[in-house]
Amino acid sequence: MKAVVRLRDVTFTYPGAARPALAGLTVELLRGEVAVVAGPAGAGTSTFLLVAAGFAPRLTGGKLTGERELLAARAGIVFATPWTQLSGLCASVRDEVAFGPASLGLPRETVLTAAERAMRRAGAEHLAERDPAALSGGELQRVVVAAALAPAPDLLVLDDPAAELDPAGADELYALLPVLAATGVAVLVATPDLERAARAATRALVLDAGRIVADGETATTLDGTDVAEIARAAGCPVPLPLDVPGLVGRLAR
Amino acid sequence: MTGSSSGGSPLHRAHPYTPLALAGALFLLAFAVSTPRAVGLVVVAGVVLAAVGGVLRHVLRPALVLALPTWGLLLVLHGLLGADPRVVVGPLTLSEPGLARALVLGGRIAAILVAFLTALATVSPPRLVEAMAARGAPFGLIFLLVSTLTLVPRMRARAAQVLAAQQCRGLRIGGSPLARLRALSPLVLPLVLGALAEVDEQVLALDARGAVIGGRRTVLHPPPDSALERVLRWGLLLGILAAYGAKLARGGA
Repeated sequence: MKAVVRLRDVTFTYPGAARPALAGLTVELLRGEVAVVAGPAGAGTSTFLLVAAGFAPRLTGGKLTGERELLAARAGIVFATPWTQLSGLCASVRDEVAFGPASLGLPRETVLTAAERAMRRAGAEHLAERDPAALSGGELQRVVVAAALAPAPDLLVLDDPAAELDPAGADELYALLPVLAATGVAVLVATPDLERAARAATRALVLDAGRIVADGETATTLDGTDVAEIARAAGCPVPLPLDVPGLVGRLAR
Repeated sequence: MTGSSSGGSPLHRAHPYTPLALAGALFLLAFAVSTPRAVGLVVVAGVVLAAVGGVLRHVLRPALVLALPTWGLLLVLHGLLGADPRVVVGPLTLSEPGLARALVLGGRIAAILVAFLTALATVSPPRLVEAMAARGAPFGLIFLLVSTLTLVPRMRARAAQVLAAQQCRGLRIGGSPLARLRALSPLVLPLVLGALAEVDEQVLALDARGAVIGGRRTVLHPPPDSALERVLRWGLLLGILAAYGAKLARGGA
């Protein structure tokens, strides 16, 4: 698999910050893989997404040292708060999803086809004619995912993307990630919802205090958590649950 | 003070440049004339425009709320403190030239408010985006203009959310003016900080979707622009030039 991002000994510091948010990161992200980025609050998971996708320091400011190779032609991003990611310039979901390809100046038919395909992938086609301002948080997050997919990114970074979704919506979103990866997109998702992410991801990166402390296959990298240890002791088969609701659900079965 | 309202009036159906041109013409006309009677006619024209747009009630209340403090100030400054001769108006003895000056200035403020609130209420931001993009305007200019036009409704919606959240946490917004003033600080700080955080995320999301400052967008639904409307806009321009020409001929009073 080809790399979309290569970081070698990358350190990133936000403007005015006393210490770096990321320190000495060396990692390669590959096309076709879903990688989950985990870590405690303040570990630098969100910053890692911004640096990997090339948004930091270009748009955030700050200082990056080390070597970063951005090989992705286009990166898409999805945040936890969908209402901040709308253009605010479109009257319908279809136009909102088409906003990205339209901004690239693609021919009108190509723009509309890309929007339809992205809405179908994100399960948002039934919302096509709705006003984005009148949608619920969960519906809006589907639209935002569709909007991120429409310009056909080869790297998609998602920062806690299911925070606004109901459990069924979150399951659907995480089920979509391997499907996207199968088309050659590199997917990088930072989330505390390790139970769902572990089902979708093939690779896990664990950060602590801005450093990568573990990087490997999801099942072997994330199963050192306390919940996983309890699940292992209780005889749960792999992949082990990684959070309490997941453990309870598994034990209830 | 709200954003655009839905409706099927001639102004809602018109090309977005037409209501803006009418509002701009009334604004300029209010400064081209200098007698209370002429300024009053401009105000009446603004009210007729709002009625044609079906947004009279939508416009008059915020216009009055915004204009009343300034009218009061003008009455004191020019009416009560102005030069002789004086004229009795009800219980007040006012300066005659000062009153005329106050009427002209107050009328101009009213005309500007009614004209621009009418334009805001009848121009759909998404249609304006398409109209500007169809004329080749760069994305940066479009975003700046439309964000400005929609700023007040967006901030109002956000303020309502912050207020509801703070009331859930025990904030009381009634009581004396001092108590109401004190209740402002838990509203303003989250409102401003939230807006700044939102801008950060929106910049990242829009950049990822190809929206760059100088970029040209593909137009998906260009609003129709009839020959009649184009003639009307040119006619307004010529009318304004004629009014300023006449003003210069009178000596610029």
